[in-house]
Amino acid sequence: MGATPSRRDFLWTAASTLAVASAPRITAAPPELTAAELTARVREKVGVAWRTPSVDGFKAGSPEALVSGIATTVVATIDVLRRAAAAGHNLVITQEPTFYTAGEDGGTAANDPVYAAKRTLVDERHLVIWRFSDHWNARRPNESVAALANALGWSAYRESDSDGLYRIPEIRLDALLQHVRTRLRVRGGLRWLGVPDMPVRTVVLSPGTTDLPSTVSRLPHADAIIAGEPREWEAVPYVLDTRPRKALLSLGRVVSLEPAAAACATWLRSFTPEVPVEALAAGDPYWSPLA
Amino acid sequence: MTAKDVVTRIQQKLADAGIAWRAQTVDTFKAGRPETPVRGIATTGMSTLDTLRRASAAGRNFVITHEPTFYNHQDQTTALAQDTTYQAKLRFIEDHGLVIWRFHDHAHLLRPDPLVAGSARVLGLTPYASASERNVYVVPETTLRALAADVARRTGGKQIRVCGDPDMKVTRIALGPGYGVPPLTQAVDVSIGGEAPESGGQAEYALDAQALGRARGVILLGHMMSEDWGMREVAEWLRGVITDVPIEWIAAGEPFGPPRA
Repeated sequence: MGATPSRRDFLWTAASTLAVASAPRITAAPPELTAAELTARVREKVGVAWRTPSVDGFKAGSPEALVSGIATTVVATIDVLRRAAAAGHNLVITQEPTFYTAGEDGGTAANDPVYAAKRTLVDERHLVIWRFSDHWNARRPNESVAALANALGWSAYRESDSDGLYRIPEIRLDALLQHVRTRLRVRGGLRWLGVPDMPVRTVVLSPGTTDLPSTVSRLPHADAIIAGEPREWEAVPYVLDTRPRKALLSLGRVVSLEPAAAACATWLRSFTPEVPVEALAAGDPYWSPLA
Repeated sequence: MTAKDVVTRIQQKLADAGIAWRAQTVDTFKAGRPETPVRGIATTGMSTLDTLRRASAAGRNFVITHEPTFYNHQDQTTALAQDTTYQAKLRFIEDHGLVIWRFHDHAHLLRPDPLVAGSARVLGLTPYASASERNVYVVPETTLRALAADVARRTGGKQIRVCGDPDMKVTRIALGPGYGVPPLTQAVDVSIGGEAPESGGQAEYALDAQALGRARGVILLGHMMSEDWGMREVAEWLRGVITDVPIEWIAAGEPFGPPRA
């Protein structure tokens, strides 16, 4: 909050001055929402039956904490947590694990000062971490595909009856790479294969995990696939072996899902008017030794 | 000598080294007839279509690959039966009389693990092997930036990825093969491997360590820039097993970037 009092501050100040000691509590008091209440609202709105078991749920902090603000992110790195705390967003909604394993137990780092420091940071800043992955990704149409398309400026080019296929104005692969680098603020994580001057008209968007079955079923309809995280003994050699040649762009998991974390913030804002909601980019984790 | 005979000799050589053949293993014939007479052997990190073309052109009709041929760990092909990429690869193998056998699980059981040894050799790390810690190398102090540039130069890898402060000091390196990127802990400065899942992987740990001023780094070579070299070690090992036919390492090479000319 800045130095200038907000309208709400003014009303509160005026009200408390006028009310002196006799009046009952002001009816216009801002509603207080716990993390448990807020996430219950998310579960209600998501439009997908809640699954058990699921990786989604509270991973750190108290569900009874009052929410002062929400930060959405792909991965709650220490940098993201510090920025969330500095902005006053104590509820962090993350797509990926925070403590290095799906079980959030630190894995090989469980007895390690980095893991301990991250736990301490969460405790000291009174942060609450809630993972929201399974159910967000179960929404149809797929939110991360639509968000990635939007980030690339391709929302209008979606093929109507297909999952993730876009028919874009023709572009050479080398120009497409530049477009993707710029739009998604890639540092060194983007890898690609294909013929640099090949024309690209149809693109499959496959953010997050890019598995073999979905690649095999969709690549025949496309010139290129923009992947999140393809395995190098699965989708990567499959695209490499395909003739006529196709192109693969591998963004990395975090970069490929960053637009979806922003879309999630927009969606949350539509039904949580009580609190500010902000998307915090984790950013491309990688740099290239050749850059 | 048939391809089946070659495999039998490999199994015998392993048994002599105390490595029993596993009942459950991906080390099986993947395509071609095991009874095919062998004219030459090619070892490779991955039997891609391009690798198979080069092996066939060189007269190496028996291809020993570390990674799958048909795009999944078990080389299951039922779901690929109608796929044109699969069909064309299978046709190429049949038309050229190739036989493909995978050498993965048991190759990793050799000591030293040839997949790590090959990676260490190409990276120039072999002389710096720790006497007490397996797959750890202690090098004269350098920076992550300089180390990564050296790694890129030595491997020729075009799309190597690095996470961590470029100016951090490095002396202790953990090296792992392929998908086995060693855990990044306080015991090492940098972990080098092939590929790793980005979720629950080392990159987040490296970022968090960096944020705390406890610099740690990860260098992801890519799967082939990690393990292809190890199949050169396997070719050398095979020459001690099979002397009847020529044995050649045919690099699968960096899959990323423009196609091989």
